[in-house]
Amino acid sequence: MGWFDVKIISEHFGVPEAKRLEYYESKGGYLNARKATAMAPESIAAEVQASNLRGRGGAGFPTAMKWSFVPKDAETVYLVVNADESEPGTFKDRHILFWNPHALVEGMIIASIALKVRNAYVYIRGEMAREYRVLQAAIDEAYAKGYLGERIFGSGVSLDITVYRGLGAYICGEETALLSSLEGGRGWPRLKPPFPAVKGLWGQPTIVNNVETIANLPWIVEHGGKAFADLGVGRSGGLRIVSVCGHVNKPGVYELPLSITGRQLIDEVCGGVRGGRKVKGVIPGGVSMPVLAADELDVPFEFDALQKDERIREVEVRPGQKFDLGGGRTLRTMAGSGGVVVMDDQTDITKAAWRIVHFFAEESCGQCTPCREGTGWLAAVAHRIAFDHGRAGDVDLLASISDGIAGNTICALGDAAAWPTLAFVTKYRDEFDAKVRTASLHHRSSPHPAPSHAPAAPHDEGGGA
Amino acid sequence: MAAKQLSNEIEARIRQLWPRFPEGKAGRALCLPVLYMAQEQFGHVDAEVIDLIAARLELTPAHVTGVSTFYFMINKDRPGRYHLQVCTNIGCQLMGAYDVFDRCKARLGVSNRQTSRDDNVTLTEVECLAACGFGPVAQIAERGKPEIPLYFENLDLKKIDAILDALAEGRVPTELGN
Repeated sequence: MGWFDVKIISEHFGVPEAKRLEYYESKGGYLNARKATAMAPESIAAEVQASNLRGRGGAGFPTAMKWSFVPKDAETVYLVVNADESEPGTFKDRHILFWNPHALVEGMIIASIALKVRNAYVYIRGEMAREYRVLQAAIDEAYAKGYLGERIFGSGVSLDITVYRGLGAYICGEETALLSSLEGGRGWPRLKPPFPAVKGLWGQPTIVNNVETIANLPWIVEHGGKAFADLGVGRSGGLRIVSVCGHVNKPGVYELPLSITGRQLIDEVCGGVRGGRKVKGVIPGGVSMPVLAADELDVPFEFDALQKDERIREVEVRPGQKFDLGGGRTLRTMAGSGGVVVMDDQTDITKAAWRIVHFFAEESCGQCTPCREGTGWLAAVAHRIAFDHGRAGDVDLLASISDGIAGNTICALGDAAAWPTLAFVTKYRDEFDAKVRTASLHHRSSPHPAPSHAPAAPHDEGGGA
Repeated sequence: MAAKQLSNEIEARIRQLWPRFPEGKAGRALCLPVLYMAQEQFGHVDAEVIDLIAARLELTPAHVTGVSTFYFMINKDRPGRYHLQVCTNIGCQLMGAYDVFDRCKARLGVSNRQTSRDDNVTLTEVECLAACGFGPVAQIAERGKPEIPLYFENLDLKKIDAILDALAEGRVPTELGN
């Protein structure tokens, strides 16, 4: 069986007219939303439960369980689609929004019926101007046909969808920060609990789901939850849209079975590593996720396998001491957002690690001290190491700062900076140590001491990895 | 100079969006959309624009200032005619984004977040633009042209040179964009 035998969302990617309602309907589009208007909300939720659909934004949380947290007697429930895709390495939702916006609209109708939602919102990244126009055009088409607005499809159901544009803040992809932003404020995350499903937008129960998660719903209504579960692996139903970037011959967006391993993804789907080189490391799900070394790629890129498979090394705080995720749980890696970053054997891993923590330092919202201060320190120390000013003890310092951030912040951005740093140091310790050693040799013979802070304009030294 | 005023288009859009939010919440919720539209109108958001927005949406200027400075896309200073935004995050970095960015700096004679002496191009290093498989990527915005910005993908030195040439000639090379 080939990797592309079944497609749920991406079948018509690349067809210019695929984004038009007429084309979408000619392929059976909106029949499932129409069908859903005649279904009991509970039976839609039951199909989603049976489907084993898990959130495609990063956490992989079971969608039906998230929905079940909405209080049964809630009068006003909001649906918010998270289209703020900004996790570096991830570019799948942008493709869905551009090539198949009607699948998202139809999925939103289905979810809104299941959750008894009257007003739904799409929070889309501000930078995605082109995708905003395509999505708004699709929504306008649906309104013109009577598929949105009052009494959709002539049924008793009414639904409005409003597109809300972000203004450039990675943190707004975090669901509570997104809600703060949608309410018109700074994108500051909120403490959980209460979870948004209980107390979200304007204090009302709110479900925040990722674009890809919602775009799977028409297929689930059409074929039933069990068929979706059967496409998957274990407790993870359906297919997964992964985006692959970096040093492969065919980077891009692919809808694939969850059973595919990292090595199969690189060799059989992406045409291998460019120039016939070897892999040095692979980030499996956006830069928040711990890197996999070249000998850890025979594990399926599926939620549970990446967390538990013993072929993946546990992340350490220092050699021999495992990082504690809480409750004694250890950290291997996670499937995250499906953004796969492939680095070949020519990559300077210390520069890649620096660029990643530099990103988190830029994007920390500033609320929590461990993250606000810690990510800045990570960036400064990682820069020192990567650009040949590292000092004795700097590698341990990176790990120690990371351990001080992880688990001590309101939202997961702190963890997102700490985990990959710990993984880079755990798996490529020799490279970091070697950089520091050469720096000290170099500077012993230099009349100028190494700078004590990261230079103000690091890129003047060339940031390429 | 005449006092600034929000355009009729913004007023129309406020009236259209207002009912999409619950009673009493719309003014605040519209803070981001109006900031963005005001930037399209004026090019950047200064204290005078903040006061206009605050008055129109019945918010405090402090709130609007806090929001406008939190978000990266709101220009606090007036950018050049073109705003060239180059991503250097991991996917682009691995494909040579810093070479592209350095070429931009050298040719424009600027550092990050500066505007060329002829006021034509502002250069900004940006974080991930969600086009990582087609890196290095840049985005170009043109003052007064909301139908831009465009993405420019798979950049190398030759392509960024062609883009910089076009900007110098006073046009966005849309034929190279996505």
